[in-house]
Amino acid sequence: MAVNVKIGLIGALDMLKFKNMAKVRENAIQAAPAKEITADYAINNNAKALHPDYVKLVVSEVIDHPGAASKTIVFKAADGGKLPYFRAGQYLSLKMKIGDSVISRPYSISSAPKEALEGKYELTVRTNPGGFAAEYLLSDVKEGDSFTASSPQGNFYYEELRDPAHIVALAGGSGITPFLSMAKAIADGTEDFKLTILFGSRTEEQILFKDELEKLAENEKIEVVHVLSDEEKDGYENGFITAELIRKYAGDDYSVFICGPEAMYRFLEGELAKLGLERKNIRREALGVTKKVAALPDFPEAAKGKTFTLKIRQGAAECEIPASAEEPILVAVERAGITAPSRCRSGECGWCRSKVLSGTYFAPAENENRRWADIKWDYIHPCATFPTSDMVIEVPAEYTPK
Amino acid sequence: MSKKYDIVVVGAGNAGLSAALHCAKEGKKVLLIEQHNLPGGCATSFVRGRFEFEPSLHELCDIGPENDPAEIREMMNEYGVKIDWKMVPDCFRIITKYSDGTPMDVTMPSGKQPFIDKMEYYVPGCKAKMEEYFELLEETMAGTAYISASNGHADSNVLKSKYPNLLRTGSYPVKKVWNAMKIPQKCQDILSTYWGYLGIDMEHMAFIHYCNMFMKYVTRAAYIPAHTSHEISCKMVERLRELGGDVWFNCRAEEFLFSGDRLCGVKTSSGVVDCDYVLANINPDIIYAKMMPKDLIPEREKKLSTARNHNYSARMFTVYVGLNKTAEELGIKDYCIFMADTSDSAQEYKNILGGYEKNNFTIFLCNNITNPEASPEGTSIGFFTSMGNREEWGNLSEEDYVAYKNKYAKKFIKELKDKAGIDIAPYIEEICVATPWTFARYLGTPEGSVYGYETKDWDGMMARMMMLSSDYPIKGLRPIGAAGPRGDGYSSAYVCGKLMARLALKDLKEEAPGDPAANKEGGAQ
Repeated sequence: MAVNVKIGLIGALDMLKFKNMAKVRENAIQAAPAKEITADYAINNNAKALHPDYVKLVVSEVIDHPGAASKTIVFKAADGGKLPYFRAGQYLSLKMKIGDSVISRPYSISSAPKEALEGKYELTVRTNPGGFAAEYLLSDVKEGDSFTASSPQGNFYYEELRDPAHIVALAGGSGITPFLSMAKAIADGTEDFKLTILFGSRTEEQILFKDELEKLAENEKIEVVHVLSDEEKDGYENGFITAELIRKYAGDDYSVFICGPEAMYRFLEGELAKLGLERKNIRREALGVTKKVAALPDFPEAAKGKTFTLKIRQGAAECEIPASAEEPILVAVERAGITAPSRCRSGECGWCRSKVLSGTYFAPAENENRRWADIKWDYIHPCATFPTSDMVIEVPAEYTPK
Repeated sequence: MSKKYDIVVVGAGNAGLSAALHCAKEGKKVLLIEQHNLPGGCATSFVRGRFEFEPSLHELCDIGPENDPAEIREMMNEYGVKIDWKMVPDCFRIITKYSDGTPMDVTMPSGKQPFIDKMEYYVPGCKAKMEEYFELLEETMAGTAYISASNGHADSNVLKSKYPNLLRTGSYPVKKVWNAMKIPQKCQDILSTYWGYLGIDMEHMAFIHYCNMFMKYVTRAAYIPAHTSHEISCKMVERLRELGGDVWFNCRAEEFLFSGDRLCGVKTSSGVVDCDYVLANINPDIIYAKMMPKDLIPEREKKLSTARNHNYSARMFTVYVGLNKTAEELGIKDYCIFMADTSDSAQEYKNILGGYEKNNFTIFLCNNITNPEASPEGTSIGFFTSMGNREEWGNLSEEDYVAYKNKYAKKFIKELKDKAGIDIAPYIEEICVATPWTFARYLGTPEGSVYGYETKDWDGMMARMMMLSSDYPIKGLRPIGAAGPRGDGYSSAYVCGKLMARLALKDLKEEAPGDPAANKEGGAQ
């Protein structure tokens, strides 16, 4: 070996020093006092305050919007303290026990982020024919009721690093809620961008938050345009939200944010194509899976109308449940009273990620947001996956309050 | 309901996955529990829009080509885990200043000879010195491998005769060895580049530790998986299932249960699980403070914790971007660009810890350069990495959080434009900023650190390896992961998991020599 490295003056002692490394370390350890070990970390505490496993809420008020067949539920923190801060546009996944089912529903927060620091969140729920959760919330919920919810979730918010300084919001019905929060955040100085809301309602009477929006529109950064589909009236746009209407109010450099019912999404697909926007300039809030999955062109014919048996494993527990081919697997799981994780219920967030051990399934392309390896190794998002045979599925547990 | 397992592995990070696979391969009944609903810890992925992001892996060393596998590829082969690896084209590009203040913009290739030749190009006249240097590195590597294989019982006569330079340099920090060898300052400046991958500057990092990392990257090249590190983690889980292991996601270890002074089970969020042994991918301070009876913690362990003075290593700050232009359209040619104010690593580490005003250190990485299919056609994907100071992120309020992290992100995006002439700002289709808060929340590590304790001065990797039998003497429980003897890093975590699993199997065998169940397949080789 040609190399012979000697360091400084102590070269001859280097070997001894090497052998002594353990001794040196032991001496350093023994020289320290044997203090009680604690594990309290500021950064971890901050992270936990912003994203706790769940929040415990109590209903402090229920506000009726009779014309719009909706109610706003005002929640406060169950412990009377503050609630996790959020970005205007985010949602809560509200957990409910209805009969034997343990379910969740995502609702955009309509209050301002600042109000969370005062311990307040507001959610607005609208009548929805056959809507299991909406019916329960609109008829049964009263002041003093307790709920558990996720911390605020989702990626439907203004992002200065990505978006132009002008957002054109396309809202339908209760889809106004994330934009209401954004408008409040602009008005109180939390957010800084121009927001033009094109808000579709059937009639003037059915407009949600009409007075509140009018007041917010006094801010120079906020414009609200009502679009009535079933009524012609002065001071209102008439018809649907079209490419032409968007052009009229949008100006040059803008992004479109969409939140509304399924029918509005389908209609807007054609309209948006006419605008020639870049993909980065169109953002849609995830709004569930189609109610008519069997109508999708690639849905397997043989599965239509069928009911299958799912064997669900959760930790060491196992049970068998029936499941319709035309309902998401998550719904069957919840109906059986199994507490399963879920948040967006649109196939997007991956919170319900579960492992298929056997069986076949249908995952609609429009809800496909799975990771490459998950698709390869048969992990599904049960909120947006339909059984097409008997299946064995490993569903993870959900952390719940003790 | 409780069920009997031989071994419960807590945490499906790299070390946990590796430990679980090793135990299952040796015929043990293994349960792997993971607090999230997906495996990997840092080695995962997330989807935004049409992009699937790699959250953490820059490049994995120790893979080597298929026909000449290095340690990690061999380990994966042993486990039966096949990954679609893509070779990273160069070592790195770095844009900074030499110690004398003159500008530095160098791109270093992988491979010993090309690396030496390029050094000669940038620092004329250094070739002979560099060749001598590589000789030292090779000897040090070989010696370290010998020590690792000896399970803490290296023969000093073998060391003296075969690896004398390892003994001469082993107890010194990198900078001292360089100076002793009279490595030209400009070469030192270039060679310092990788310091951030270990989170310790050259004045405090042990030469052996640096040498191992450097040689693996330079001589064996680096690789990334074709489909993010989630591909590796997912495949490891699949293999564990095939070997008869169970995996429970969304399951947290809450408390370790003892019968006398010996572990007998784990209380989890999904119930109590009986087992003979636990390998916990959790920082030891958290285990001792929150997860086991205080009276079972030896005095020396309390001293060890105090001596380390909660000296947790670097915490990361990362910005992930999905761009609606190709790398070519954006003028991105390098996989990995380091940008820093100075090539003096000790000064740069100080700058980073100086917070927003002083921290101009970032690494920008574009996955498409190594793997053209990393994102959909017509797009590209990449991420910035920097580090954060404990106080600046500890003292930040919820209300100021988004503005603060975005301010940082903007600074690094601008840095890429100013220093490398690459303007990505107008083409951002998706962006996500992860901070020490994100890592603290997701990993649960102290102060969001990702590298365990600093492998610094007296607490370097070699000293830890020498004391494997003294640290963490809890019966039936061993911590694994970045806080362990091998320190931080993707490959180190895989190696640590396997090493600790071997030791666990050895413990079990020694504890119950008459019990054939504990003896099956025989533990450590």
